[in-house]
Amino acid sequence: MNSSTLDKTALSKLYPCGKVARRRFLYQAAGGFLGTAISSLWAQESTGDAGKLAAARLPGEPKAKSVIYLFMCGGVSHIDTFDPKDNKFAGKLMDAVGFGDNLAEMKRPVIPCLRTFKPYGKSGIPVSDWFPEIGGVIDDIAVVRSMFCHQTNHFPAVLEHATGKPLRQFEHPSLGSWINYALGTANKNLPAFVNIGRPSSPVQLTGGYLGASYAATPFQTGDVPIPDLLPPTSSRSAERDRQMQLLGELNRQFREDYKLESDIAARVKAYELAANMMLKAPAIVNFATEPDHVKELYGIGQKETDDFGRQLLLARRLVENNVRFIQICHAGGGNGSWDAHDDMKTHGPLCRAVDKPIAGLIKDLKQRGMLDSTLVVFTSEFGRTPWSQNTKGRDHNGLGFSSWLAGGGVKGGVIEGATDDVGFKAVESPHYISDLQSTVLKQIGLDYKKMDFVLNGRPFHLVEEGNGPITKILS
Amino acid sequence: MLSTRLLSLIPLAALILAAQPPPVAKPKPAARKPLAKPPAKPATPAPDPADAKIAERTARLWSLQPVRKPEIPVGATASANPIDAFIADKWREKGLHPVGQADKLTLLRRVSYSLTGLPPTPAEQDAFLADTTPEAWAKVVDRLLASDQHGVRWARHWLDVLRYADADATMPAANGIHYWRDWVIAALNKDMPYDEFVRAQLLGSRYKDHTTVTATGYRVKVPGPQEDAFALGFLARAALTSDNKEQDLALNTVETVSTAFMGMTVGCAKCHDHKFDPIRQRDFYAMKAIFDPLVTRTVPLATPAEIFANGKATEAYRKKKEPLDAAIESMIAAHRERLYDERVAELPADVQAIIRKAERLRTPAEQKIADDYYPILRIDASKIKEVMTPEEVTKYNALLKEQTALTRPPALASFVTVEEDSDRLKQPTYILDTGDPMRPMKDKPVQPGFPFQSATVDFREGRREGFADWLTAHDNPLFARVAVNRIWAWHFGEGLHRNTSDFGVLGSTPTDQKLLDYLASEFVAHNYSMKWLHRAIVTSDTYKLASQVDPALAAANAQADARNSYLWHFRLERLEAEPIWDTILSMAGDLDDSIGGKSFSILKPDARRREALPAEPANRRAAYMRRGYIPSTDVMANFLQVFDVDDGRTPCPIRTQTVTAPQALFTMNDELVEKETVRFADRVLKEANGDVKAAVPLAFRYAIGRPPTPPETDRAITWLDNSPDKLKGFAWLLVNLDEFIYVR
Repeated sequence: MNSSTLDKTALSKLYPCGKVARRRFLYQAAGGFLGTAISSLWAQESTGDAGKLAAARLPGEPKAKSVIYLFMCGGVSHIDTFDPKDNKFAGKLMDAVGFGDNLAEMKRPVIPCLRTFKPYGKSGIPVSDWFPEIGGVIDDIAVVRSMFCHQTNHFPAVLEHATGKPLRQFEHPSLGSWINYALGTANKNLPAFVNIGRPSSPVQLTGGYLGASYAATPFQTGDVPIPDLLPPTSSRSAERDRQMQLLGELNRQFREDYKLESDIAARVKAYELAANMMLKAPAIVNFATEPDHVKELYGIGQKETDDFGRQLLLARRLVENNVRFIQICHAGGGNGSWDAHDDMKTHGPLCRAVDKPIAGLIKDLKQRGMLDSTLVVFTSEFGRTPWSQNTKGRDHNGLGFSSWLAGGGVKGGVIEGATDDVGFKAVESPHYISDLQSTVLKQIGLDYKKMDFVLNGRPFHLVEEGNGPITKILS
Repeated sequence: MLSTRLLSLIPLAALILAAQPPPVAKPKPAARKPLAKPPAKPATPAPDPADAKIAERTARLWSLQPVRKPEIPVGATASANPIDAFIADKWREKGLHPVGQADKLTLLRRVSYSLTGLPPTPAEQDAFLADTTPEAWAKVVDRLLASDQHGVRWARHWLDVLRYADADATMPAANGIHYWRDWVIAALNKDMPYDEFVRAQLLGSRYKDHTTVTATGYRVKVPGPQEDAFALGFLARAALTSDNKEQDLALNTVETVSTAFMGMTVGCAKCHDHKFDPIRQRDFYAMKAIFDPLVTRTVPLATPAEIFANGKATEAYRKKKEPLDAAIESMIAAHRERLYDERVAELPADVQAIIRKAERLRTPAEQKIADDYYPILRIDASKIKEVMTPEEVTKYNALLKEQTALTRPPALASFVTVEEDSDRLKQPTYILDTGDPMRPMKDKPVQPGFPFQSATVDFREGRREGFADWLTAHDNPLFARVAVNRIWAWHFGEGLHRNTSDFGVLGSTPTDQKLLDYLASEFVAHNYSMKWLHRAIVTSDTYKLASQVDPALAAANAQADARNSYLWHFRLERLEAEPIWDTILSMAGDLDDSIGGKSFSILKPDARRREALPAEPANRRAAYMRRGYIPSTDVMANFLQVFDVDDGRTPCPIRTQTVTAPQALFTMNDELVEKETVRFADRVLKEANGDVKAAVPLAFRYAIGRPPTPPETDRAITWLDNSPDKLKGFAWLLVNLDEFIYVR
């Protein structure tokens, strides 16, 4: 356990006696019922449950212990960021056959890319002037330029991205909850699957048929990372400590009467975890112990990057606390702000908001020796078309877009696949979005072919399409 | 025509019209003919080799065999309640020994939550303890069943199965859907027979007779009671304005009706013949054909006076708006035309030619091209602004500001119902390839029908009528069994047949089919009275068993029935979300238990950006708390989700009961608990005349329905230290007791 996470100042606000109070609180929350068990819990707090899909575990030590999944809601234009095209088609009408459900001839005007690209790092991978900071860490990044999906509108595509299924005929779970289900938690103090930031759709958080307990727990930056995490101010005092003690006493008879009920044992555990989160989570969101140069790295304190920087710093701290899957949704709600139909210029502020924090995260992970065991993924539900809808912006494009990965056993400074000359379709080594999921699964130690769940006698698989992990980018 | 229009101004008359197909209101002389002969059957299809397999499956499946009332076992119990006789017989057969009866206050709390979802008040506890007559229990049960709150509690159970939601994507029926919920509450409160309850929701009329012949020889529809029009919210709720808006009403209805009322998962047959049950893909689409003609229709519910007032206000609004619209248009028209012409001139010559053609002169192929170019040729306001002079822009912006400042009068109350569309009635239904509405298999048309259909069914009085007659017939082996089993499960936490929505092969077989069949046949004999069934269940000795199990007894019974399938003790149940919410408010004396009305939301305004709702009081019963699912925004409060409430997109037969840390965080830290424990403390202190010691037993009785034991009293009094300020903390403690959240 990292000592910075057990921040004494944050604790003292709640429980004046620090560590001692914490121990007592735990004991009392459990009502003494699991008294002995708790002292052992204290001693070996980083062991959790082992998950439900032992058969899906790959042999050997997994490359990645945690995943930070950065999801840009609304669709990042690959053409203006990681997949440069020359502007020779600009102003021409192009035939958009195959776009959406359109099978007939359809003409659309290609608009010019107004960005300038330059090669970065030893690898010389070109990145646009919207992402100079990410360009600075490009040698740690594998850019996949040939992603595709089937859906062309936001919610269906977000659904497809989250669940690997283009339709929601059943309550399909999201990738994070599959991983939570398969691997269990690596700690007893925090959930295994955390979401930060407003998603495009609740489907990105759902545990679906796996069950609500595998769903994402939403965290937020600020003083209270989880709803109801802290008592209202008027009740925050040592008084609560005494209340817990009496609660334990008054529960004793009931728990004795129903000691055969697994539910009651589970309730004892639920109070334990709740109490653990109350004690631990505030410290995780309290950045007081982070030195200024680290905050600077994430762009914390600068107007444009402060929000996202804080979310990414929180993500790093969650990784340090063995949270397995951290999904960060940027600019979500509704269609998502990256949805630049009207004018590509609207990408500008969004890029500036995420560029420095993301590069900062990668640098920070690296300097702490954590990048090798932390897989960072950057993606959105789809890319954008080369053409506009009679605007200065671009339409949705599921047929070709870019995602990138870094750390967690991914080769840096490589490019995988390609789109056509204009950036419309993935033509060279196309990868269905499930390939991205399979890659994540492989790195975290799971066999994508064995991610199964049987519901009412019918087997469901997380991955049903694609070619499996993108091995060319793995070291 | 004129008379119809006038009628539609009168809301109730309009509802009657909506409840039945339109031509009935005024039959024309030409329509005078006796009921049409059944349509000639299509040429007998070649015998399907699959038929034999289906017949064999049908003969083998227990739930499709007729319900035969079994003999009541004798000699196993002294109880006169047949339920106990069947249960005790199973104990005897399995060698099980039951626990003893629970004490009076435990039972009172149990049955109060069971029948009304509310805790017993101290006065009710006193009255029951004081009543030592043999009828004391029956009196309590009668009182609870007579309470209006009974319908609120049981409507929630049924609406879970009938997938009630206040919002679902862009659900056309969202506005006014709560009238359906309130209809269900009223129906349960007046003990509407179950067959009428179902018929009303399928047909808009609970009556068995669908048509009658007038004295002058016209056959006319028998109108249902006016209020039954609200029952059609059940069908209207299925419509979704999504990509397949034409068909989701019927598709969704087939799945819900078959799951809820037939206990069959026909959904599998959407894409292929059912792998285990005697249901073919053809059956699924035959059943879909029953609902295919339905379309939604909005019915105004305002009074004539309100409608006239609204008309006046709308007129005033338009008078102010029109000159502004005209001024804006005159500013931009010339610019727009010029920009449009410039844009067209850039297009290839062949496209230009098409665009310049009048729409009616374009071939379909040309029209497709024109449509493709529509976005390219669209001239948006932002483009026009770019070519305006600064002075024009200022003027234009000022006009726009004035225009947006005008507000349209608020919409009048309305309800969305369904009706049969005569055009759609004529259209054939096809099997859909993999269930995709865009891929009808034109070589596979189907006639209206349904799985397990007998040869005698006819649809002369209408498709839904024919189906409803079969569904609600006394001899339908599924209808009563499924309903009785659901009600049993909502009392005991598990059904006599464990899979309450799957009476098919994969659903396994009932733990006690004799008891299930006995109750099903008695349910029919008692005219489908749900209150009769509640009474029969909760007055049984089985219902009154304790939930606490002595370890020695548990060990003795473990071999034969470790999971308590044969109810040798009552199951400890975690309260659902709604009773938890209601109890926290009611113990503080803060619960508004008025019946019905619009749903309320407790979401913070920032969490429902796009769903702007006015601030509303949040102290009503949680049965009225907004639920549903919209992809782009939060609809359901975190509280409901944390306590396992479904979002109403699919039928939920039994809620899962998780035990999680966020639940503990809610009872520990939520602001509702904070606020209500303050009030609760005030209340008990006041009722105890300021005596902290006397407040302790009162607090226990409000919160968990019993006085404290002497050791509990001692601990509490020591802790409180005679300080009224500590009562709030004590109230918090009671809400966090295990016993608070469990029904023993």
